[in-house]
Amino acid sequence: MSDQKDLLGLFKTVAERVDRRSFETVTRESVITDLGVDSLSMMQIVGEMETELNVQIPDEDLVEIVTVGDLCSKVEHRLV
Amino acid sequence: MARRVAVTGLGAVTPLGNDVATFWRRLLAGESGVSFIREFSTEGLRSDVCASVTEFDAERFLSKKETEIYGRVTQFSLAAAVEAMDDAGLGGLMKADVPGGEVRASLGCDVSRTRIGCLMSTGQGSVDIFEQQIEKSRERGPRAVSPFFIPGVMPNSGAALISMRFGLMGPSFNLASACATGTHSIATGAMMIEAGLADVMVTGGAEAATRINTVAGFGNARALTRAKNGDPTKSSRPFDAARNGFVMGEGAGALVLEDYEHAKARGAAVYGIVSGYGLTSDGAHLTRPNEDGLGVTLAANQALSRAGIGPEVIDYVNPHATSTPAGDIAEVRALRAVFGERLAAIPMSATKSLLGHLLGGAGAVESIAVLLSIRDGRLHPSLNLDNLDPALGSIDVVTGAAREATVRHALKLSAGFGGHNCALVFSRAD
Repeated sequence: MSDQKDLLGLFKTVAERVDRRSFETVTRESVITDLGVDSLSMMQIVGEMETELNVQIPDEDLVEIVTVGDLCSKVEHRLV
Repeated sequence: MARRVAVTGLGAVTPLGNDVATFWRRLLAGESGVSFIREFSTEGLRSDVCASVTEFDAERFLSKKETEIYGRVTQFSLAAAVEAMDDAGLGGLMKADVPGGEVRASLGCDVSRTRIGCLMSTGQGSVDIFEQQIEKSRERGPRAVSPFFIPGVMPNSGAALISMRFGLMGPSFNLASACATGTHSIATGAMMIEAGLADVMVTGGAEAATRINTVAGFGNARALTRAKNGDPTKSSRPFDAARNGFVMGEGAGALVLEDYEHAKARGAAVYGIVSGYGLTSDGAHLTRPNEDGLGVTLAANQALSRAGIGPEVIDYVNPHATSTPAGDIAEVRALRAVFGERLAAIPMSATKSLLGHLLGGAGAVESIAVLLSIRDGRLHPSLNLDNLDPALGSIDVVTGAAREATVRHALKLSAGFGGHNCALVFSRAD
């Protein structure tokens, strides 16, 4: 569950669910703001990932996130 | 010279149709929009009827994501506002990158977005989203509550969404006065144009709150009726001796109000003038109206006075007429205090006999009916007035078929829980 591929997959699943559109072409290099995900949607995605994985991601972890990969790494770190 | 406030656009989402033309055609035909409640079980509830909007296509106006963020009431508000803005010839202000925006031609005239505001209101807000998010929290914990919960349920989400869609930068907000919300919004919008705070205001009201617990709440307050002899369409019966409560309805009405000179300068068609308004309170009881309708009388007299006319020139009245025993009688007493014995000769239509009670949307949708009566010279019939309550004395309620009548000045009344009263006078532009 904690390998990189799964987290990217989880991001896509959750983002599709909360934003009601396709995130199929997203990679770890994708810049989140380029995906048309606004700040509230981002918080919704993070909240859903927290619930799915049963982890808590502190706000300070979210400050420097630019790409989807950045988010996945932060989540990964909290899973260990 | 004081500014005159014209109505230049109308939009409606109602149990009788999701645009103004359909709504008006079916209203004139005397059709009922009331049916049994089908969305949830009515076991244990004191009402089994409602008036629902059907076949509403939210995705004409909102993205899939937005349909989840905004409650049904906000979706109705936007749809009605879009129709009203198109009708007013201002649809071209809509942004191109929103649902429906790509199909609109650019505006053929010069208007400033900073002079256009929105006062599209709801009395109860997004009850559906409240229910849904509270349920989510209960099931999965508070972290599962959507960050869109608050902006989604705030009662001003309709005004916010409409102002965002059209890039409006004038004053926009929500006001609430329960069942008088739509009427108060029109009055306040007109006041703001008169005061020079805006040239155009998208005003009106909406509600979509027919949920199990709201039906329970109104029902337990003994405000709602049930199907009569198994027929839901017979349940809403204002002024009838057998009336015993209202029918919860849903929908939205939007009116584009505009400084008359501004409207004329851009060649906009004018439905009528908001020539007067009166706003008062009973200041007495949370839900029971003053038994003589004193606050309503004062509101009507204020509205006539602001319009600069006397009661003798009112050609038509669209009363609040909810079909509750106490409300209807108080209102007729109020009207008799205003009009004296001439009341018996002034035609009235009880719109809620067909549409149910649209609560925060009622005054706006009913005002639309009044403006269309001014335009077409036709008054819609009321339903279910089988035996006029003798306690009401002599009144002239239009029944059976629509009636032809020249309407130069009309009075619209609304009264809400909380003792909030609002009267409007609409007049022909010429």
